[in-house]
Amino acid sequence: MPDVKLVGLRKSYGDIKAADGLDLEVKDGEYLCVLGPTGAGKTTLLRMISGLLVPDKGKIFFDGKDFTRMETEERKAALLSQTYALFPQLTVEENIMFGLDIRGADEKLKEQVLISMLDLVRLSGRSEAYPRELSGGMQQRTALARALASGADLLLLDEPLRALDARLRISLRIELRSLVKTLKMTAIHVTHDQDEALVMADRVAVIRDGRILQIGTPKEIWDEPDTPFVANFVGQSNFFTGEVMQSSPYTLLRTPEGTVLKGRSSDLAPGTTAVLGVKIGNTDLSKERKGYLKAKVERIIFEGRNLHVDMMMDNGQRISSKVPSWRKGKIAPGDVVDIYWEESKGTVFPMPPNGLENELKVE
Amino acid sequence: MDSLIAVISRKRFRTGWTAFIIVFFLFFVILPTVYILSYAFTNWGSIEQYVLDDPAMLDLILNAISASFQIAAIVTVIDILVGLPMAWMLVRKQFRGKALLDTLIDMPLAVPTAALGFSSAIFFAVTPDALQAPSFALNAVTSPFILIILLHVVFSYPYMVRSLSAILVQIDQTYETAGRTLGASALSAARTITLPLFRAGLVTGIILCFARSLSETGGTMIALATMANSQGFQTGPTIIGMWKPLVETNTDLAAPLAFVSILLILLSLVLLLVIKLVVMKVHLPMGRIWPRPEKLFSRGWFPKTKDGLAVFFLVLFVLIPSFFIFTYVGSVESASFDWGPFTESLLFSFMVAGVVTVIDIALGVPLAVYIAKNRTGKLSDVLDVLVNVPLIVPTAALGYSLGVFWTGQNIIPTYDVLLIILAHVAFTYPLVVRNVAGAVEEVDPAFEETARTLGAKPVQAFRRVLYPIIKSSILAGAIMAFTRSLGETGATQAVVASAQTAPVYIVNLINLKTPSGYYTAGLACIVLIIVSFVFMLALRYITNRRSR
Repeated sequence: MPDVKLVGLRKSYGDIKAADGLDLEVKDGEYLCVLGPTGAGKTTLLRMISGLLVPDKGKIFFDGKDFTRMETEERKAALLSQTYALFPQLTVEENIMFGLDIRGADEKLKEQVLISMLDLVRLSGRSEAYPRELSGGMQQRTALARALASGADLLLLDEPLRALDARLRISLRIELRSLVKTLKMTAIHVTHDQDEALVMADRVAVIRDGRILQIGTPKEIWDEPDTPFVANFVGQSNFFTGEVMQSSPYTLLRTPEGTVLKGRSSDLAPGTTAVLGVKIGNTDLSKERKGYLKAKVERIIFEGRNLHVDMMMDNGQRISSKVPSWRKGKIAPGDVVDIYWEESKGTVFPMPPNGLENELKVE
Repeated sequence: MDSLIAVISRKRFRTGWTAFIIVFFLFFVILPTVYILSYAFTNWGSIEQYVLDDPAMLDLILNAISASFQIAAIVTVIDILVGLPMAWMLVRKQFRGKALLDTLIDMPLAVPTAALGFSSAIFFAVTPDALQAPSFALNAVTSPFILIILLHVVFSYPYMVRSLSAILVQIDQTYETAGRTLGASALSAARTITLPLFRAGLVTGIILCFARSLSETGGTMIALATMANSQGFQTGPTIIGMWKPLVETNTDLAAPLAFVSILLILLSLVLLLVIKLVVMKVHLPMGRIWPRPEKLFSRGWFPKTKDGLAVFFLVLFVLIPSFFIFTYVGSVESASFDWGPFTESLLFSFMVAGVVTVIDIALGVPLAVYIAKNRTGKLSDVLDVLVNVPLIVPTAALGYSLGVFWTGQNIIPTYDVLLIILAHVAFTYPLVVRNVAGAVEEVDPAFEETARTLGAKPVQAFRRVLYPIIKSSILAGAIMAFTRSLGETGATQAVVASAQTAPVYIVNLINLKTPSGYYTAGLACIVLIIVSFVFMLALRYITNRRSR
């Protein structure tokens, strides 16, 4: 039940900076998801919090106490790894009891905890089984029970659902979150799956190149991204560059071709070069209605619930849109359509210093 | 107990322990092994005086060493030629009696080389009348050079087959299947696709066979002593074995002894490098295909003949020579046998092997864990290379070097037993380290890390999580170390000339050249074989259980 605070953490492996001045605050009892692409430094972050890795610089506080160099086993921070690391020579029961056994807990307490844990993760019938005899979902739940039963207050989850098949992964999201909430633990969950982060987290921290780009509720991250990278990584976006004409009560942006686009209010001075980002799901297209821009439909991909439409604008830029499937048949490749969006769905960013292309690059 | 765990969990204790293990390894294993090299710098004068300026001496030494290397090279080539088809059969083919064949391959490993030398020599060589060799022995070889080659093939063959089949098992057969669906004949596919993937196994096999042949002393000495006329033939290690007892009365031999050891150590280390470089770098022109003849050889009589010959070779040149001693002891007239000294020497051998194994485990497992866990570190890389040194260096040279090192320093008392134990530790320690390091590397580090986050101290994480997983590899390493120590002759004799271990005792019995001496030696060999065999079975049982 601690709050965790990371201040200016740095860790490099040769030239690679896995943590580059990383600051993060996790509140007591919070379920925080750290979301980022592969190689962003997610695992390094977890390993530093758990004490398996010592940062080159910076400090780690648990409840205000400096834990930077505290031994792993003293931190009460249980790690649940991607592969679960269930000890192969121990049964489900022995695995779950590992933490209490090590600490020399008395038999009565152990029995109580065991029964409640087996019940909690619905494995009461399999307590004598060995890990290899369990299905993926059961292994995942055993590992979770083991972490919960160890007496840890802080749960560190390293892509805990990655090895499961798609359907199971989705059903376990809610289950995992409610278990952690029931036990009032603090949880730090790293993942590269945006849906998982948005569904499970109280707050999401987006990480890239060893730095936290933005931290906020899932809705904030989705609707009010701080940077073009966040806008694009969490639910793909279309981007348009131009010059700011006004920034309040809504922003107007003039593209080099002279078209004027609308977005949410911003604090950019008129005359600056800026980028307007619109999630592809919020980018609508129409043959009847007048929009900001015109584009020619190149191809339409049927995705079940949605249609994914790729289009090319007159200036050669490609954009995409997601529209409901029932509109199939009303648009066809070759059609010229109007593009529009609600002004509240467009977010305006200052032009990234390294250019838009570098900003959006994953890895 | 808890407070003990607390003490040894302290960071400072852990660092100190790691440092101690590394220092032990460098100071007690590596340094004594190669110490004799320094003799070339400190006593170059005596080497010049007693070796280089004495043509007869120089001739003797160079002939012996070149014989050693020639034998090792020929043995290795034979092993590859006959080992490859056998490994192929064991891995790729399914047939009745495969399990039996698999067990038979390992049999010679269970026989101490001293016993092997006696047994093979009786079978192959023309032997003196006093020996009363059975009439159905081959009784044909008169050249000591050829006899030693035959003997070395007997005990190195299993190493080659095992190294090759270990790699072959790992090579995905779908490559070859893909090649065949694209129209290649079985032989073309195997030759052009699978063989080039084979190098790692080939390097291991070659190094193991070469080093074992170069190093072998006991069996070689016994075989030479057993044959009717060995024409004064010597290999590098047997020279050390011959001179070491004499050097105490004749100090002129100190320089030649050092010279032989230095040559053996240097040449074997250089050779290790060369083999690694050559086999890994040189690309054999494997690409070319001769579709017609290869198709012809892929079916019909050729594969069958090849497999038949492989089995025939195994039986005639490996198995029969290994176990001929049983028929010999059964057929010869029994003589009175004084069990006293033999039992004593056997017990002494057991005591040494036991103590050596305990030391190997206690100090080898931590080093193995250190090497395996710090794969990215420079120090661990260096240690990993150094671990191979005592495996490559001929044990007789190692023993002599070690003896000179410890008797020259006043650090530890130089009791014979202690020196013998130290020498045996030096060449068995790497067996344990390599076995265990290999096993630790295969274990996902997440196991121990997760245990730590669940509240386990480092010692507890090792004992409760890592140890149960690698237990069988530790045991396998221990049994290997034990049997190697039990069968060793060269290092024992080279470190303490008057040592009375079981293999040395057998050498001395044969050197009596009397009927009762031969008979007693035969009985002693059988006892040694049975004891080693029991350990071998235990090893197989343990390793099989692990793979399940």
